[in-house]
Order: sequence, then C-alpha cells, then structure tokens
Amino acid sequence: MVLDLLANGLIYSSIIVLGSIGLSLVYSIAGFANFAHGDTMTVGAYSALVTFGAVGGLGGAILGLPFGFFVALAVGIAMAAVVAVVTEKVVYEGLDVGSIGLLITSIGIAFVYRAVIQMGFSSDFTRYDIQALRPIEALLPYGIRVTEHDVAIFVSAVVLVTGLHVLLQYTDLGRKMRAMADNPDLARVSGIRTDRVKLWTWVIGAGLAGAGGVFLGLYGRLAPRMGFDLLLVIFAAVILGGIGSVYGAMLGGVLIGMINQLTPLLSGVGALLPIVPDGWGIGLEYANALAFLIMVVVLLFRPNGIAGDGEGT
Amino acid sequence: MSRDTIRELDRRTLLTLAGTAGIAGIAGCSTTDSDGGDGGDGGDGGGSDGGDGGDGGSSPYTIGMIDSLTGSLSAFGERNQRGKDLALAAVNEVGLDGRELAITVEDSESENQGGVSAAQKLVNQDRVPFVIGAVGSGVSLAIYESVISGTDVVQLSQNSTGLGLTDFPGLLRMSPTGRTQATALANIIADDGYDEVALTYVNNNYGSSLADAFKNAWDGDLAYDNPHDQDQQSYSGLVSEMNGSGADAWLFITYQAEYATMVNEMFSNGYEPQLYGADSVSGDNVLENTPEGSMDGMKIVVPSAPVEEQNYQDFASQFESEYDEAPTAWSAYAYDCVVTAALSILAADEFTGAALSEVVRDVTRPEGEQVTSFEAGAEILVDGGSASDVDYQGVSGPIDLDENGDPVGFLQITEVQNHSYEGIGFIEG
Repeated sequence: MVLDLLANGLIYSSIIVLGSIGLSLVYSIAGFANFAHGDTMTVGAYSALVTFGAVGGLGGAILGLPFGFFVALAVGIAMAAVVAVVTEKVVYEGLDVGSIGLLITSIGIAFVYRAVIQMGFSSDFTRYDIQALRPIEALLPYGIRVTEHDVAIFVSAVVLVTGLHVLLQYTDLGRKMRAMADNPDLARVSGIRTDRVKLWTWVIGAGLAGAGGVFLGLYGRLAPRMGFDLLLVIFAAVILGGIGSVYGAMLGGVLIGMINQLTPLLSGVGALLPIVPDGWGIGLEYANALAFLIMVVVLLFRPNGIAGDGEGT
Repeated sequence: MSRDTIRELDRRTLLTLAGTAGIAGIAGCSTTDSDGGDGGDGGDGGGSDGGDGGDGGSSPYTIGMIDSLTGSLSAFGERNQRGKDLALAAVNEVGLDGRELAITVEDSESENQGGVSAAQKLVNQDRVPFVIGAVGSGVSLAIYESVISGTDVVQLSQNSTGLGLTDFPGLLRMSPTGRTQATALANIIADDGYDEVALTYVNNNYGSSLADAFKNAWDGDLAYDNPHDQDQQSYSGLVSEMNGSGADAWLFITYQAEYATMVNEMFSNGYEPQLYGADSVSGDNVLENTPEGSMDGMKIVVPSAPVEEQNYQDFASQFESEYDEAPTAWSAYAYDCVVTAALSILAADEFTGAALSEVVRDVTRPEGEQVTSFEAGAEILVDGGSASDVDYQGVSGPIDLDENGDPVGFLQITEVQNHSYEGIGFIEG
C-alpha cells in the first residue's frame, strides 16, 4: 500500500514539477505570478490531442506509448511556447501596470485561452486515443500498481528537468537567465540582452508547462478546466519551494505531489493518536487542504520557502 | 455586438413604456381596448417581449424557461432545448384557443447566481407567470428561494432530482426525486447477493443527499463511505482505498468526467469489482473514454421514459428524424414541462401565476381522462372540461405531480454489456 502510494506520488509529482518550474521561472524573470500558466498546460494538452489525432500511432511504441504520441508531445510543447510568447509580445510586454496589474491581466488571459479551447472542443472531457494499460506484472508482488504510461511520464519529466538543469548550469543562456533572475538591472548594464533572455524564459517555462499538460491529459483526462484546476496546487508547490527558485519549485512540486497522494495513509490516523477517537481519520477530500496546511506551516518557519534566499521578494 | 445590445435595451425600454401605457389604458377603460377581451392579464401585455403588445387577443402567451445553455450541465441543456422545441411545435400546431405559446429562454450558466439573475429577469422584468427551470437541483432551489417564493409564479424544474426539493411544495419538478433511485440501488445490490458495499459520492449537495438516502435504504455493511472532490485529475488514492476496504461491490454517485477517470484508474490498477452507479455516471462520453470491457456487468439506475408506450415511441421517432440521435429521458422531461404548462394555461381561468398554480397539478394526475398528447388534452379543455377532467400521460411517464410537487418516478435498470448500456428492467416508484 505505502509503496503503491509512493509510486503514485512520484508520477503525480512529475506533472506538478513540470508545471511549477515554468511558473517559478516566469515569476523570477518576468516579475509576476502568471495565472494563465495552468491554461498554458491545457493548451499543450489539446495541441497534442489534435496532433495525435492527425499523425496517428506511426508504427512502433515505447513504454506503451506510440511514436506518434511523442510527436504530439513535441507539438504540445511547441504550441504552449508559441502561445505564451505571442501573449507576451501582444499583451504583457506593452502593459505598464506593475505586477498586480499583470497578475489580473493574466487571469483574463487564462479565461481567453480556456474560452478558445471550449469553443473548439466543447466543455466536455476526452482522452487521447491510446489503449489503456494494465499494471506492470513485475511490480505487482511488491504491491505497486503502475502502468508503463506512468513510467513514461516519470522518465520524460526526469529527462526534461535534467535538460533544464544542464541548460541553467552549463550554457551561456542559463548563466544569463540566472544573472537576470538575481538582478535584472545589473544584468542589463553588464551587456546582457535582457529582452531576448526574457523571451527564452517564456519559451522554456511555457514549453515545460505544455509537457506537463500533455502528461496530465494522459494521467487523468483532458478538459478545458484541467490546467486551471491544478494551478492552485502548482502555486502551493512554487511558494513552498521558494518562489523564483527553479530548484525550489522542483522540490516543492515533489513534496506537494507526495503529500497529495499519500493522504490515504492518514485515513486511520485516529487509531494512532491518543486523544482522537479511533474511527476518526483525514479523508481523501482533504488532500489539497492538507498540502496547503503543510505549506503554511513551512512558511511560518521559512518565510521565503524551502529554497528561498534571505531577501524578501 | 455591444451596439446590438444597446439597441435591444432601447427596444425593451420602449416596450416597457408601451406596456405601461397599455396597462394605464386598460385601467382607464379606454376605448382602444376593444379587441382585447382579456383585461385580466394586463400584466402579460406589459411584459411580453414579442414586440406586439398592442393587439391583445392574438399575442402569444409567454412563459419563461431557465436552462443550462452553458456551464458544466450544458449537455443537459442541449437535450432540454431539443425537447422544448419539439413540444412547442406540437403545442402551437394546435394552438391555445387561438393564441400561440412563446417561451423566453434564459441561461443559468449551470450556476446558482446565473440562475437567480435569469429568474429575476423573467419574473420581474418579463413578468411571466410560469417558469420552467432549472437543471441542477442547487440552481432550482436558489431560484425558488430567492425569486419565486413569495410570489404566485409557478416554477417547474425540468431536470432536478435532488432530494431536498421535496421539502418545497411550491417548487414542482418533472424528473423523479433521487430517493426512489437510492432505494432501487440498495435493493439491486442486496438482490445480487452482496452484504457489504464500498460507497463514494461527489462532495456536494447532490452526492451527499443521494448517498444519505442510499445509506437509509441499505441494510448491509458499508465497508467504505467517503466523498471525493469534483474536478480532480487523479482518483488513484480513492480507488486504492476502495480496494483496501475489501468490498466486492462498489457504488459510485458522481459525475461522468470524474467517473471515467476512476474507471481508467481501476483498469490500470487491475481492480475488477462489481460496479453500481447512480444515473449521473452513465453517458456516451464515459463509454468513449474508458477501455473496452472495463465496466462490463456494471448496473446503473436511470430515470427513464416509458419506452414501451406509444406516445414515447412517437416522440422518439420524431426526435430522431429531427436531430439524428435517440432522445434521453432529460429531453422527455423538458417536453412534458412545456406540454404541462400549455395545458395549465388552457385549464386556468386567467393567465396569472395564482390561477395556473391551482390547475398545474390537476392536469397531470388521475381522475381525469388519460390523454397522451397536448392535442387530446386541449380538446377536452376547449370543450369546457376543467383541469381535473384531464390526466396527461407524458412522454416521460405518468407524471402525477403530488402535493410536494414530485412526479411518480419511473426508473430503468441498465447493465453495461459489451461496453454499451442495455436496459434490463423497469421500476415504478
């Protein structure tokens, strides 16, 4: 039971992490909390749905996923990035309203994304046309019930996150991004073309969100509200990890995802605690509330999040 | 777009002014009223949106309808509109004593607030005496409590099955209460030989009230009894807890999207319990988005139309030729709402809420002659019959609205066979 929940937690965390990195990146460089981030994930998921419908399986398959799905994944990532960059160019860049104004604007943008998707695909839910799988036999003796798709989600997330780590630590663009996140003015006077770096940030952040969206659709279902419904949890992850910090967002994402999926362990908590009656437990319906509670407790002791630096943001 | 709205507003203001002038005219016994002959419904002249407030006798009777045209229940809204359109055509083919029936449709957006503003518009601005609405039980109740209650306007909900509506006799409905459904589920599970069941329900008024009704009717053990939140991306924790409970029969009271996700998670976890469900877990979208064979043997209780009756078959074939798909019970309820409203208008002494509410129950329930169409009912009423001379047998069932405003329930048990729903029996509640 515990191993199974941990495995589920890892998979759910993978998706949260993909979403939270982008949110944190954009916050650190564009300077506002982007409420359209969840719907950017939805854009990625639906782009993949359309692409997968068009290209089909393309023959072979890896981990139960046809090759065509990986093409769809790439298109989903690209579309999410394109949509985000166009939005940045058309809307955010021209707005001179401060971070609160941008935040409210981004809520509006979120509604626009969702409305467009709803017009094209109706408000009903759907799934990718991929054969659902049974749990992997080899893991059943350990009580772990995951499918190859779940493994694919986890592996892809690890690959993407590692790629981002390499990019940030070892490339020129990564160094510039880190410089800009630390101090945009200083970065600009040092000769860094901050506009270009900002654009790349949007591409990377939204691209990761797009990937997260594609996997979210594979994991659960596609619906126009899918990304928005997950956004609060992603915010919790980002803030828990320390907003603005990419590595904090990863850590926060794993923690929040784990807490969310491990809640069933608490259903019998009454039997373990002395004062509380035996039949009492924390039901699944409180999974998100619990995640937020833990976030608040952590913030009481570390006001800038787990990986946040000393300065206030 | 905005320009149109302004123009429409202007027109409306103008109409209201014209209507007010009309009422003033009637009140003053002006001679311009010569062709009216129905001074009693001056309110109608003022509120009618038809654009011809002037010529009393031939202007349509306007009633209102609040529907989920958008929002989470929009699938029901679409079915309702189709049923309503067919009924309206059938009514106007015969006519209401020389006049037509018009229905002003407003969108509730499937939300309480949207429903209440729609009702306010219909009742306070358009001054309709009869409102059909709404779909969601919460929305219907919100409309009743904040707009209808205290006025004499008749409210007839087309699709609400929430148990709480029974406590409001003034709030009528066409769809049967969930209580019959919950009792039926408890009996079916017991008859199948299970003495313990794992139950999960959606964490809202609909889910918890139906779950409570089930628990009252269920004599066996409840191995698992927990709500779940709507709109979650993952229910894997839920299905593994249900599996952990050890029960072989699992009962789901939730919505299609949530249920489809759960079925996929049961499939990918390798769980194969005997499944049972309330009507809201069934739908083509569930079949399309779950693996072939993943739900076989599942039993669901759905409010049903009397599919063996002639009037339902006529309705179904007309519906199919019009919309190219089979109707659901939800379309039939909307159809019967419109016909019931039309019969009430014919039976009532005048076109006011007070007069309509006196007859609306009587035209649907026994003692009168059983009629299966608006045409047959209208014949009796036009010949001088009163409301109690008519007992309308709807395309959705016998109706027979009781003092609480609830109809007689007519339920069908369906079983999933080869990944499609097959009817295996009927229950009359």
